[in-house]
Amino acid sequence: MKGVGMVMDNSAAPGMQLPWAGKQVSPEHVEVELSTLWRLAADNMRISQNMNVRTSVLNFVICAQDEKTARKASAVLRDLASTHIARVTLLILDTRSDGPSEVSTWITLRSFPIISDIMRHHFEQVTATVGGKAIQYVDNIVQSLLKPDLPVYLWWLNDLPEDHDIFHRLIKLSSRVIIDSSHFTQPEEQISAASAILQQAPQCALSDLTWGRVTAWRELIAQFFDIPEYRPYLMAVDTISIEHIVATSSQALDHHSSQKNPIRALLLAAWLKTRLGWKLSEDESDNSRDPVTGTYSWHMSERDMNKVVTQPLSAITSGEQKTSAPLGGIRISVQPRELVKSAPGTLCLVRMVCTVEGKQAIFTIERGDDDDHVLTSVEVPGSPRPPRTVSIAATHKESDLLHNELEIMGRDRLYEQMLHEVFALLAE
Amino acid sequence: MPQRSVVEAPNPFREGLRIKESLEPCVMVIFGATGDLTHRKLLPALYNLALEHPLPAGFSVVAFARRPYTDESFRQQALESINQYSRQKPVNPQVWESFASGIHYLQSNFHDPEGYTKLNQLLNKLDQERGTSGNRIFYLSTPPSQYPDIIQNLGAAGLNRNRKGWTRIIVEKPFGHDLATARELNRQIAKVFKEDQIYRIDHYLGKETVQNILVFRLANGIFEPVWNRRYVDHVQITVAENLGLEGRAGYYEESGAIRDMIQNHMLQLLTLVAMEPPIAFDGNSVRDEKVKVLHALQPLVGREVQNNTIRAQYGPGWVGGKQVPGYLQEDGVSPTSSTETYVAIKTFIDNWRWAGVPFYLRTGKHLPKRVSEIAIQFKQPPLMLFKDHDTQGQVEPNVLTLRIQPDEGISLKFGAKVPGTDMQIRSVNMDFFYGSSFVREQPEAYERLLLDAMHGDSTLFTRRDEVEAAWAFVQNILDEWGAAPRDTIHSYESGSWGPQAADEFIWRDGRRWRRP
Ligand SMILES: NC(=O)c1ccc[n+]([C@@H]2O[C@H](COP(=O)([O-])OP(=O)(O)OC[C@H]3O[C@@H](n4cnc5c(N)ncnc54)[C@H](OP(=O)(O)O)[C@@H]3O)[C@@H](O)[C@H]2O)c1
Repeated sequence: MKGVGMVMDNSAAPGMQLPWAGKQVSPEHVEVELSTLWRLAADNMRISQNMNVRTSVLNFVICAQDEKTARKASAVLRDLASTHIARVTLLILDTRSDGPSEVSTWITLRSFPIISDIMRHHFEQVTATVGGKAIQYVDNIVQSLLKPDLPVYLWWLNDLPEDHDIFHRLIKLSSRVIIDSSHFTQPEEQISAASAILQQAPQCALSDLTWGRVTAWRELIAQFFDIPEYRPYLMAVDTISIEHIVATSSQALDHHSSQKNPIRALLLAAWLKTRLGWKLSEDESDNSRDPVTGTYSWHMSERDMNKVVTQPLSAITSGEQKTSAPLGGIRISVQPRELVKSAPGTLCLVRMVCTVEGKQAIFTIERGDDDDHVLTSVEVPGSPRPPRTVSIAATHKESDLLHNELEIMGRDRLYEQMLHEVFALLAE
Repeated sequence: MPQRSVVEAPNPFREGLRIKESLEPCVMVIFGATGDLTHRKLLPALYNLALEHPLPAGFSVVAFARRPYTDESFRQQALESINQYSRQKPVNPQVWESFASGIHYLQSNFHDPEGYTKLNQLLNKLDQERGTSGNRIFYLSTPPSQYPDIIQNLGAAGLNRNRKGWTRIIVEKPFGHDLATARELNRQIAKVFKEDQIYRIDHYLGKETVQNILVFRLANGIFEPVWNRRYVDHVQITVAENLGLEGRAGYYEESGAIRDMIQNHMLQLLTLVAMEPPIAFDGNSVRDEKVKVLHALQPLVGREVQNNTIRAQYGPGWVGGKQVPGYLQEDGVSPTSSTETYVAIKTFIDNWRWAGVPFYLRTGKHLPKRVSEIAIQFKQPPLMLFKDHDTQGQVEPNVLTLRIQPDEGISLKFGAKVPGTDMQIRSVNMDFFYGSSFVREQPEAYERLLLDAMHGDSTLFTRRDEVEAAWAFVQNILDEWGAAPRDTIHSYESGSWGPQAADEFIWRDGRRWRRP
C-alpha cells in the first residue's frame, strides 16, 4: 500500500520512533489530524483527477506485542484483497513489566493498490503503542480510537498474553477475534485458553486462520463424495491417515521455530470423525497420543449412523441388496512427516481406506511437488478415475486467509464445534 | 423415519463449505468450439473453475466443430486462448495438465448424423474413463441458424436424455430474431428437450451487481417502502457502449440495438427493478414474478410506437480520441441500411405498484462512454420553504442510481445546504462503490452461469414464457418501424449522447436524460 503523499513528521517525537506508521500525533488529536490528512488527500486527488473513496465496513484492530510483528502485519494489509476496512487500529502492547507507562499514537492514510485507474480506495491507520499500567485499560484506549457504529474485528498476533485479562478486555469490545494457531508456540494449550476466554464473551466470534488452511482439503474431500456412486463408501471407511509436516530437528534448531504444529491435522481428523458419525469412547484401550513427536492414533467403534446416512452399505457395484457386515470400527491416525522447505503443520496427506467385501477402495489427497499443489486420486475396484492436480496456492497466503475471515459475520459454529472435538481427541 | 438411501442423502462433508451442494462430474459438449465465444469466454471460464476447484475431478469437455484439429492441437489452441483471456494468467502448468487431459476434440459438420454417433460413443467412453456418469451439458455456441439442426440431431441420436445421469442444454443469445422465430425455436427445442433441461443464457444475469438489485431492494428496510408510484417519479435504464461494430457488421446489420440490447439485457434489468418480491429465491419463483412484469408492460401499438420510441444511427464523429466513420460508411454495412444503433423507449408497467410511472430505456453504440445503470428518480417534496431564496433550479430531485458497469455501485443524490449565510442548496452524491467494500476479484459472469447450469439452478437463465413475453413487447415496435418511412430514423454524432430527437422526446414530459 502506498502512502498517499502524506507528511511524515516524526522529528519531534520522543521515545519510540515508528517512521512506517506515519505522523506522530497526540492521542486526543487523532480524529482532527486524520481529517486534515483526508483534506490534503482530497486536494491531491483533485489534482491528479483521481476519485477518492473512503471505505467503511469495519474497524480492524490488530494487536501485536512488539514492533517487528506489528510492522509485518501492517505490510500484510498491502496484499489484502478486500477494502472492507474503514480504520485499522494497530496496537503495539509493551507487556514488559518495566516498560514505561504511556500511550503514543501515529496516523496515516493508506490506499489499496488495486481496482480501477481512476479510483483509489483508502483507509486510515492509527498506530498506538501502549505500555506499563496503561495496558490494563487497553480496551478504553481502543474505544476512543474506533470509528463509530462499525463492527470491530480483532486480529490477535502471536501467543496469548500471560495476563489473560488484556485479551479478555479486548474481546469484550470485538465482534470477532482472529487468531492464528499455526503461530502459537504451544498450540494445544493456547487454543484451549483462547476458547475458554471466549466462553466468557458470547457476543464475540472466534476465527482461526489455521482452520482456513484446512478448508481446501475439506472441499477436496467433499468432492470425492459428490459422486453419488461413491457415497455408499462413506459407510465403509475403516482407516484414515493424516500426515502433517514437521521440521527436521536441525532445521528447528536453526530457526528457533517450533518444530511441529499438528493443529491442522487434528482439526481435519476431528472434522472427518464427526462427519462420519464416529464417537470417541472412554474405554478404548488402543488410543495413543504423543505430543512430542506429533503422532496420534484413535480407534473408535461407536457410531451415530444418522449423522451420515441411514441405509447400511449394500453391495455397491452389483447394486444388489446384500448387506455387508457392520463395520467393526475406524482407525484414525495423525503422523508427522519430516520435510525441509515446508512450514511445520502443513498438511501433506489424507487417505481414506474403505473395505467392501474384501476389496479396498482408497481416496487420497497428497501433497504435490510443492506446497502449492496437491494430487487427488481415487482407487475404486472396477472404476478407474483419472488423478488430478489441484492448486491450493490461495490457501496459505496470510492476506487471503485474513480476507476470508473478514468476510464472515457471526459465529463459525462448525469451527467452534471442531475445536471442542480436538480437545476431546487430545484429552487423556 | 423412512430410510434414506445413501445415494440420495446429502453429502455430509458439504456442510459449512462455500459450495453447499454436490457437483457431480459431467461432460460439457461445446458446439462451435473453434469459435470466438468459446475461446474468449467459455474455455477461460472453465479453466478458472478448475483452478479454483469447484469443478470436480473427471469434468470433461468435448469440443465439437468443423475444422480439422486433433485433441492435442485443440488443447494447444485452448491453452493459448486461456493465456490470453483468462482473468488468472499465466496458466498454472500442473493444473492445466490435469484439466487438458479431459478436453477432447470431435470434428464433424453439424448436419452430419455420423458426428452424433461418434459423439455418443465418445460420451460413453468418457463416462467409463472419467466417471462422468451420464451427466451432460450441451452448449450451443454456434450461429443461431445452426441451433435447429443440432437440436434435432441430438434428439435423433437419443442424446437428449439418458438413463444414468442428467442432460441439459445451454442456448446462447440471440434467442430468435423476432417473436415468430423465437416461438419456433422454443417449439423445436421443446420437441427434444423438456423446459427444465433448457438454459437460455443472458450473461447480464451472471453479473454480481445485477444479482445485487434484488438484494438491495429486498434486504434493506429503507428502500422497498418507497419503491412504487407514490414516491418514484420515473426510472431510466441506460446501457451505453462507446464501441462500434468491432468487426461484427454482419451480425449487427441483422440485429440492431433493439434486438441486441433491449429484448434481452435491458428488459431483464427492467424486470428486476420492477418485479414483486418472489415467494422464494428459486428459479421458478423468481421467474414467475419477472414474467408478470413483462406481461404488464403496456404494449406499444400503431402510432404509440412513433410517440414513444426514438431510433437512430450514429454518424461520423470522435469517440475515445479517435475519428470514426458513420454507421452507413462502415465496412459490411449497406449504405441504405435501416438498422438502428441507438434506441430510446418510454414504457409503462400497468400494475398496482407502477401505474403511471414511466420507464425510459436507452441504449446505443458510439456513445461517449461505456456505462450501464438504472436510475430511480424520486418525486420532489413541496419546495415553498425555499421560494424566497434564489434556489431556482438548485433543488434537484433525489436520484438513486444502481450502476452495473463499470465501477459497480450505488449512489444517492440529495440536496445539502452550501455553507454560508445565504440559503443555497446544492446536490451532492453519496456513493457506495461495490468494489470498495467487497473488492475480491469477481468471477466472470460466465463462470457463475456455467456453475449454476451444472448445479441445475436455472434462476439466472431465461424461461420460455419470459423470452416470448419480451419478444412480444419488442415485436410491436419492430413491426411499426418496418412500416415507417426511412426518414423516421434519426442520426447522432458519434461520441454524443444520442440524437437531439431523443432529448426532445423526454423534454416533452418535463424530464431529461441523466448524463451518466
Ligand atoms: N462472440 C461473442 O462475443 C458472443 C457474445 C454473445 C453471444 N454470442 C453468441 O454465441 C454464439 C457463437 O458465437 P461466436 O462468435 O463464437 O461464433 P463464431 O466465432 O462464428 O463460431 C462459430 C462456430 O460454429 C462452428 N460451425 C459453424 N457452422 C458449422 C457447421 N455447419 N458444422 C460444424 N461447425 C460449424 C464453427 O466451426 P469451424 O470454425 O470449425 O467451422 C465455429 O466453431 C452465437 O450464437 C453468438 O450470437 C457470441
